[in-house]
Amino acid sequence: MSTKLLLNIAKSLLLARWKQTLVAAVGVTFSITMFITLLSFMSGLNDLLDGLILNRTAHVRIYNDIKPNANQPINGNAQFKDAHNFIGSIKADASRQAIYNSGAIMESLKKDNRVLGLSPKLTAQVFFNDGTIDITGSIFGINPTEESKLYHFDEYVTTGNSADLDKVNNGIILGKGLADKLLVGIGDAVQVTTSKGDRFQLKMVGTFQSGIKEFDNIQCYASLNTVQKILSVPKDYITSIQVKLKDITLAPAVAKEYEQLFQTDAEDIQTANSQFETGSSIRTLISYAVGITLLIVAGFGIYNILNMMIFEKMDSIAILKATGFSGNDVKKIFIYIAISIGIFGGMLGLLFGFGLSATIDQIPFNTASLPTVKTYPINYNPRFYMIGIVFSLITTYLAGWFPARKASKIDPVVIIRGK
Amino acid sequence: MNKILEATHINKYFHDPVRIQVLSDLSFSINKGEFVSLTGKSGCGKSTLLYVLSTMDTDYEGSLFIDGEAMPKKNEPFLAKIRNEKIGFVFQFHYLLNEFNVLENVMLPGLKLNKYSKEELEHRAMEKLKILGIDQLALKQANHISGGEKQRVAIARALINDPHIIMGDEPTGNLDKKNSDLVFDIFNKLSDEFNQTLLIVTHDPSFAERTHRIIHMEDGVIK
Repeated sequence: MSTKLLLNIAKSLLLARWKQTLVAAVGVTFSITMFITLLSFMSGLNDLLDGLILNRTAHVRIYNDIKPNANQPINGNAQFKDAHNFIGSIKADASRQAIYNSGAIMESLKKDNRVLGLSPKLTAQVFFNDGTIDITGSIFGINPTEESKLYHFDEYVTTGNSADLDKVNNGIILGKGLADKLLVGIGDAVQVTTSKGDRFQLKMVGTFQSGIKEFDNIQCYASLNTVQKILSVPKDYITSIQVKLKDITLAPAVAKEYEQLFQTDAEDIQTANSQFETGSSIRTLISYAVGITLLIVAGFGIYNILNMMIFEKMDSIAILKATGFSGNDVKKIFIYIAISIGIFGGMLGLLFGFGLSATIDQIPFNTASLPTVKTYPINYNPRFYMIGIVFSLITTYLAGWFPARKASKIDPVVIIRGK
Repeated sequence: MNKILEATHINKYFHDPVRIQVLSDLSFSINKGEFVSLTGKSGCGKSTLLYVLSTMDTDYEGSLFIDGEAMPKKNEPFLAKIRNEKIGFVFQFHYLLNEFNVLENVMLPGLKLNKYSKEELEHRAMEKLKILGIDQLALKQANHISGGEKQRVAIARALINDPHIIMGDEPTGNLDKKNSDLVFDIFNKLSDEFNQTLLIVTHDPSFAERTHRIIHMEDGVIK
């Protein structure tokens, strides 16, 4: 009952000064609108840029690294067992790059229920022969269906069809930059020379554009079989297994486990692409900082308006206190006023923020390097809306708290005797 | 006799700019049903005394009892409750809230007390307005009625919680002769018919003469 009465008084004071109230609410609305739009847009952009790398990168990559053998003979010598052994000029050992027992490893990975999917990969370093000029490049042997399913390979194939890699004998998809250099189109023959000197004829079935030009100038894709033929290696010869997990955050732990289990090297996505995490988090931080600054400015607006209202309503506060409203009651009235400005302005802000984001989402955004993106990217994460409304309530509460405390301390005797 | 209000050895000082004693060792009491006026020249401390008695001013020495209960000096929410329940105020200025209509203004302290339901309270407020002869104004906005009417609304507001005592600080100070007489008649009627206790500060001798008892002050002491 008491709260209802105080709310009622707060409402009357608000409506009596509805123009001022509106100005204060518009301030909050504007800042929340910008906060939501900024975060949605920035986060959409982050997702897009991260997607360039992260979507196409394995969460855990299993491979054999070129490195010196960890078990050097001196370490086995009982005499130097407890000593720290310094060994100079070690060479990497001649172990092969292919993964031993790849078939069995893939079988056991498929049974691991943390794994979403996996695709084998084989890399071949080749020269593309263009008349008298040789252009270096690398051909990735992949399984096109798996690769499309897990790493959106088909999205980056701009001309031709990724499934043709399996259908067309010796088919190859060239990077856009490389295809332009070689002056070839779909259906044309492409000649490559392997590092061992073998020549091989391939048939172009499409081009792809990754969004990173440097990659497009050297990378090509062919089916696993085709690359195994180029390198003249057996059917189980693969150089890496790309594992996609259900939960990306498990990657570092899983990578360590696989290293132990399969006696190979395993690299997780967080280690391989740490710079992207840093970039995203800093961009997000900046967006939050700008959004919160806007809110604080709106908070000062509310503070001013409430201060003015208290000066105007000095008499009303005095009589309320004389007739039995305590300082605390008066404080609550002004805090209710501030909070209702926050709720009203904040809700409208969420609505306008959504509207503005949706508008930006419709603006065409065509760029040569991002073939899949047609409009500006927006991330409609409900979390931004939650944060927006919570922050608007906190700022308006704080903006109301100081004037409200001042109002609660008004001495009615001073006001009444002053008349 | 039933003492509604009792003050013993009240001393009060103003500290700014220099320490001056405004009330010195005042002791008196008011019984139930008394209509008392507090008179004296400007600056003699009569209003100051009233605000000490009203519990709004707690910066004094001595003790104050309302309805036999000692008033603490530090417990602000408790004093607010006492004012709400046991004291009705009428000031020189009406202090009506312009955001509300007449009826709502009268009901406000009652809603705060929260003793009766809203419907019951509305009925009681209408009764008080009827006693004061202004029930036809009930639904008018507070800033759309005349000065004399405003003061009567303020009296109705003071009455809403059936207070033990009504305190007035020059309630007729801003009114013309006709309205002053009207307000006095109302006070008189409240005293006679409803046995209401009243303590009114005034410097109008004709007003004071007609009350039951005059407390006359000079330079901070009762003469």
